[in-house]
Amino acid sequence: MKTLAQFVFAVILMNTPITLLAGKYNAILNIGDSMPEFKQLPTTDNAHISSSDIKASVVVLISLANHCPWVRGMDKDLIKLVDSFKNQDVRFIGFSVNHMEDDRLPAMKEHAKKAGYNFTYMFDESQEIGRQLGATRTPEYFIFDKNRKLAYMGLLYNSPAKMNWDGSIKHINGQPTQFYVQQAINAILNKQTVNPEETRAHGCSVKYN
Amino acid sequence: MKKIFILICFLFFSTSTIASSISLKPVSLDQWQTELSTYKNKIVVVDMWATWCTSCIKRFPKMLTLFHQYKSQNVQFISLNLDDYEDTDSIIAAEKFLKHVKAEFPNYHINENLMTAFEKLNLIGIPAVVIYDINNKERYRLTGDNPYKQFTDQDIEKAIQQLIKEAKP
Repeated sequence: MKTLAQFVFAVILMNTPITLLAGKYNAILNIGDSMPEFKQLPTTDNAHISSSDIKASVVVLISLANHCPWVRGMDKDLIKLVDSFKNQDVRFIGFSVNHMEDDRLPAMKEHAKKAGYNFTYMFDESQEIGRQLGATRTPEYFIFDKNRKLAYMGLLYNSPAKMNWDGSIKHINGQPTQFYVQQAINAILNKQTVNPEETRAHGCSVKYN
Repeated sequence: MKKIFILICFLFFSTSTIASSISLKPVSLDQWQTELSTYKNKIVVVDMWATWCTSCIKRFPKMLTLFHQYKSQNVQFISLNLDDYEDTDSIIAAEKFLKHVKAEFPNYHINENLMTAFEKLNLIGIPAVVIYDINNKERYRLTGDNPYKQFTDQDIEKAIQQLIKEAKP
């Protein structure tokens, strides 16, 4: 208790903004936490979606931003991933919370069409879904099980890819060898342990107001 | 992304405003720690950035303003670039950018694997501003890691002022 008090005092004294992380790499959410609720968020297919509408056994929420070269670099692999689970009880929902014009709904519609997004892509003007997930990068994945408890968060795979100025795509670590999101979804569907549960997502920062 | 591309292209081909003395020094993660230790006895402000980070590019003018404002008060500004070390085009663009904005302070680039760099620098995302006191001790780590506590330009200035105050005899 004394140590804790000393720590708190030191923080106040130093006037230092310190982020205490809930997860290994997330300030808000930890593995096992509940999925945040969201209501009537507009989507790129001119509909609205609420968390209560989702009935699938596995829900994958993905923090995205059109402008981000890391999102663009991994778009094709995300689309492939969604396609690979099309016959299973898995729901993929991308979301954007950035307020810059390039990341708002009209631009999202354009990007979703151009990239061929095969999943729901919603916009949250309030930025609350991002805040409650502790989403700070794009892309960043959050996987929830049937009880809507967080089972995995972080990277798509172990070699993030960036789209270069000329449209070429380059992975940081060569071709990926560990497909974290795919593995986690399969583990949940097969009632197995998710491992790893958390990775350090890599990408652009989410811009909160 | 298109706007950033146009900006980088402009900077790439623009030579009229280039300050020739400004360069991007490649360092390993170990060398970075050594370089950092050479600034002991100064308050050190490290701006971690990359050309792919739009927020970093937007923040840069403020860092330059602060640099000019505090350079006579024993405050050393440093930029640490985190573009992929194998992405030559981005590194060249980064150097052109620094020359164009006249970043007249030490500018480093980590020439190691990007994911390893983030891990070893204990970074979740950029922009990030890390501030060291005159004893080379990390005192402030301003990041966007918490959506409810995003750092502002005022936070950077407040931190610098606090360390200046502490350093006074």
